[in-house]
Amino acid sequence: MIRKILLIFKRDLKVSVRNFITLYIIVVPIIFAVIINVFSPGINDTTVEIVLIEGENQQQGEFFQQFAKVEFLDSLDELEERIKRRDNIVGVIPDKKDDYFILTQGNEPDYVVDYVKNLVSFDHYNINLEDSQAEIVDYGRDIPPLKRLMVNVATIFTSVLGGMIIALNIVEEKTDNTISAIHLSPVSRLGFIAGKSLIGVFVPVVGTFLMLFITGFRDINYFHVFLMIGSSCVISIMVGFIEGINNDDVMNAAGNIKILFLPLFGSVAGAELLADKWQPFFYWIPFYWTYKGNNLVLSNSGTWLDIIKYSGIVLGISIIVFIVLAPKIRKGLE
Amino acid sequence: MKLWYSFTKELNLSSKSWYFYIELGMAIVLLMVLLFVVPEDFDSKSEEYIYLDVPEIVKARYRDSLEDEDLDELYQIIEVEADNKIFQAEFYETEESKIYILDSMEALNAFSSVERVPTVHIRVNEDNQIIHTYYLQGYETQKLKNLLLVFQNRKAGYDLIEDYSDNISVKSLNQNIEPLSDRESIIPVFLTFNGSLMSLFIIAAYIFLDKNEGIIKAYAVTASSVWHYLLSKTGVIIVTSIVTSLIITVPIMGLQANYFAMLLFIITSGFFAASLGLYITSFYKDIVQAFGVLYIVIVIMIMPNISYFTPSWDPDWIKIIPSYVMLQSFKEIISINGNITYVLVASLGFAVLGLDIFILANHRFKKTLTL
Repeated sequence: MIRKILLIFKRDLKVSVRNFITLYIIVVPIIFAVIINVFSPGINDTTVEIVLIEGENQQQGEFFQQFAKVEFLDSLDELEERIKRRDNIVGVIPDKKDDYFILTQGNEPDYVVDYVKNLVSFDHYNINLEDSQAEIVDYGRDIPPLKRLMVNVATIFTSVLGGMIIALNIVEEKTDNTISAIHLSPVSRLGFIAGKSLIGVFVPVVGTFLMLFITGFRDINYFHVFLMIGSSCVISIMVGFIEGINNDDVMNAAGNIKILFLPLFGSVAGAELLADKWQPFFYWIPFYWTYKGNNLVLSNSGTWLDIIKYSGIVLGISIIVFIVLAPKIRKGLE
Repeated sequence: MKLWYSFTKELNLSSKSWYFYIELGMAIVLLMVLLFVVPEDFDSKSEEYIYLDVPEIVKARYRDSLEDEDLDELYQIIEVEADNKIFQAEFYETEESKIYILDSMEALNAFSSVERVPTVHIRVNEDNQIIHTYYLQGYETQKLKNLLLVFQNRKAGYDLIEDYSDNISVKSLNQNIEPLSDRESIIPVFLTFNGSLMSLFIIAAYIFLDKNEGIIKAYAVTASSVWHYLLSKTGVIIVTSIVTSLIITVPIMGLQANYFAMLLFIITSGFFAASLGLYITSFYKDIVQAFGVLYIVIVIMIMPNISYFTPSWDPDWIKIIPSYVMLQSFKEIISINGNITYVLVASLGFAVLGLDIFILANHRFKKTLTL
């Protein structure tokens, strides 16, 4: 039995590698990881942004750079263009006398403008870090929350991709009419399903572990990670089967997969942005629980009980979905 | 004439397909998300958690100054939860922040360590100086730390400095440009991805479907030419994009958007995207094989979004990615006094590029009929 399941898995792997999909889907998490690594240093900068005229006052520029993200542009026109963009960057520009004025877009929060005003006057009066009456204590947690969020979403995405491979494989088998042929072979239907599913676990697990390693999540509990990916794979696999079985052509599959991404991003946005009273609206979405569980795993603050709870809920939802759809899946494979 | 006929036939056929309704449904869902889930402007009030470990007289002074800033000039005693424990806190809401004065060091630790929010412990040291201790997580940049430190410089509160800072004049560029609200500025993203870029994938899916069924080969023996077929497919997709884009835009933007420019831009950018899709498609036998390339294209096309939302990251190479231009154009289209010249130039560019790629694709399709 196990040997037959592995045979099907091996065959799928071979076919997928030949089509480069698996390769791509394994490469995608690495691309995600690299992108996340490239961006996250920039994400850290939650301080003030200032734009100055290049070479106008070098000492002032250096002073500001201690505290703020400073950009230098060549002309006043470029400066205005830059300020008009969506973020809260503020220009500091010399006026006719020896002083400076502040150029804003007009929609910045007051505190941003106040910060810059203060910095200009601190520079004028030479007030610096000496004589500060403040201390800073930190907990040594060097991974910013936004990076955690991106890795979390990328992880869920990767498990959905696993489901997509299954869907594509099944659609392919259908067009080649090999599904009916498999019934003549000694593989049982359950064995067939299990064999087909293996690739949907293998690819996300490998992809996610690579991604976590590259993005620097090395001190987390990898067994927790495995539990969370495993449970979210179950739901993706199920979706993969359903997509594969219900769609005779890629056209409809493309449309349906688009619908699938909506609850994914919706539950992340819901968990992050909405108040507590709205949360129950998302309870039915497995990705919501995966997201919350992953968050605990990635911040290394989840207990075993938490992880079992979250992966259990995901698994529970999957089982309910399976029970409802089992007859359909069975019929589809006939 | 023949082109018109095959276009209307395609339109008629696709209006009966499941896919067409998914597109419409999706547009309505996106609209609902914008209207009911995305707030007009994100709540950007910062939250500050402070524990005042100072003599009562100093505390009273803090309270007074906070109450002056408070919206209703009164504070409330509320219960806050951290680390599964309930604490009492004084709550002040100013125009820009929510301030919680915590009642114990334990509460402060619960917030900073477990809930992972920045907190401040204010105390008096042996020399009778007021010391601010900031509890941070560890990922904050040195710049932010420096900023916190310099604001607590002994001299920073001198009247001389405050006067100087109050007298710095602030000029604002925005006399006649109304910036888009947070909700409105999401629209270009939806338009770019639901409209223009989806064309690329949908046309690929369409063509593979027809390839499987041998329709392209059949075209070779009809009186109509292959480019008629390709163009009518493109036309159908552009019509779908126009409808879905209008569904999303009209209820939110009303008359503010420049619909003429929008129509023009959807047609040209959709034509470009569809031609690109056709060209990519012509190299592969089925969608499974084309999947990888399409995937890489989608990842590249997503990158400009990051720059759209964080304008400080805007390298030159990202500006040549078509979705960057699409995002910018849609933004100009829906803004008051948007830069329509930019949109027109971009439209022209997409039209010319699209035409070139279309000719290439047509050439490939003619050659590879046997694929």
